[in-house]
Amino acid sequence: MSKHSALNTFGRSGNPAFTRNFEQVGAIPQLERMTLDGAVNKTAILLCLCFAGAFIGWNSPALTMPALIIGTILSFITIFRSPAKAGSTAPFYAAFQGVALGGITVFAEMQYPGIGIQAIGLTFGILASLLFCYKSGIIKPTENFRLMIFSATMGIALLYLVSFVMSFFGSGIGFIHSNGLFGIGFSLFVVGIAALNLVLDFDFIEEGAEQGLPKYMEWYGAFSLMVTLVWLYIEILRLLMKLRSR
Amino acid sequence: MNTLIFGLLTVISVFIFMKLGKIKASKKQLNRNDRINWARNKQPNFDEENYSTKIPEEKNKQINDQSEE
Repeated sequence: MSKHSALNTFGRSGNPAFTRNFEQVGAIPQLERMTLDGAVNKTAILLCLCFAGAFIGWNSPALTMPALIIGTILSFITIFRSPAKAGSTAPFYAAFQGVALGGITVFAEMQYPGIGIQAIGLTFGILASLLFCYKSGIIKPTENFRLMIFSATMGIALLYLVSFVMSFFGSGIGFIHSNGLFGIGFSLFVVGIAALNLVLDFDFIEEGAEQGLPKYMEWYGAFSLMVTLVWLYIEILRLLMKLRSR
Repeated sequence: MNTLIFGLLTVISVFIFMKLGKIKASKKQLNRNDRINWARNKQPNFDEENYSTKIPEEKNKQINDQSEE
C-alpha cells in the first residue's frame, strides 16, 4: 500500500515552474549553481524594491490599479513563460506590487490609522517564525502537505474569482468580506494557508540549493517568496480591517 | 507605541530572515524519506512501489479464442 494514497488518487500537483527546472541539473559549473546565500540576498533586493515602490504608491495612490495589473501580468509571465528570465522580471514585479501595496495601505490607513505597520510587522513576524520552524525541522513539508496547501490555495483563488465575477452583476459571496464571525474565520483560514505557502517556498529554495540548480533559480526562488509575502500582507491587512471595524 | 512595537518586530524579523535564511536546514529536516521531490513531474500517478516494469510470465501466454467447453 502506498504511503501517499491522496497523491495516487488525485495526482501530483504543484507550481509547474518549480518542477520543470530540476530536469536540467547535471553539468552546471559550481559557480553557476543556486545557493542559499544567493536566494536570500535576492529576496532582500526584491524587498528593497518593493519598499521603494510602496513609497511611490503611498504618495501617488492613483497608481494603485495600474501597478496591480502590471504586477499581476509580470507574475504570470515569470511563472508560465520564462522562469529562466526571473532575474529581469522579478525586480519589476516587486517594484510594481510595491506601488500597489503602498496605495492599498494608504486607503487602509485613512480608515484605520496605524494598521499598515501592524500588517507589515505581522507579515515579517510570520516569515521569521515559519523560517525558524522550517529550518529546525518543527514543520516538515511532505508530498501530502504540498497537495493539501496547493488544493486549498486553488480553492481560495477560485472563490475569489467567482466573487469577482459575481460583483459585475451586483452580487457577491457575502461572508468573504463580512466582519462577522464567519468572515473573520475565513480570513484567518486564508492567512494560515498563505503562511503555509511560505514553508513550500523555503523547501523549494533549500532543495534547489542542495541539488545545485542553475543560478537564475535564485531569482525564481526569491520571486516565489515575494509572491507569497505580498499575498500574506494583503490577507493580514484584510483581517485587521475586519477586526478593527467591529 | 504601536509604530515602535511593530516597527521593531519588522526589523528583528528581517534580521532573523537574513541570518537564518543562509543557514542550511537541520538534519532532522533534510534527512527524511518523505521529503517533497520537486523534480518528480514527468509521470504523474505513477506508484513505484506497486508497479514493476517486469512483465509477469503468465501474461505472455497466447490467448486461444477457441475455448474448450
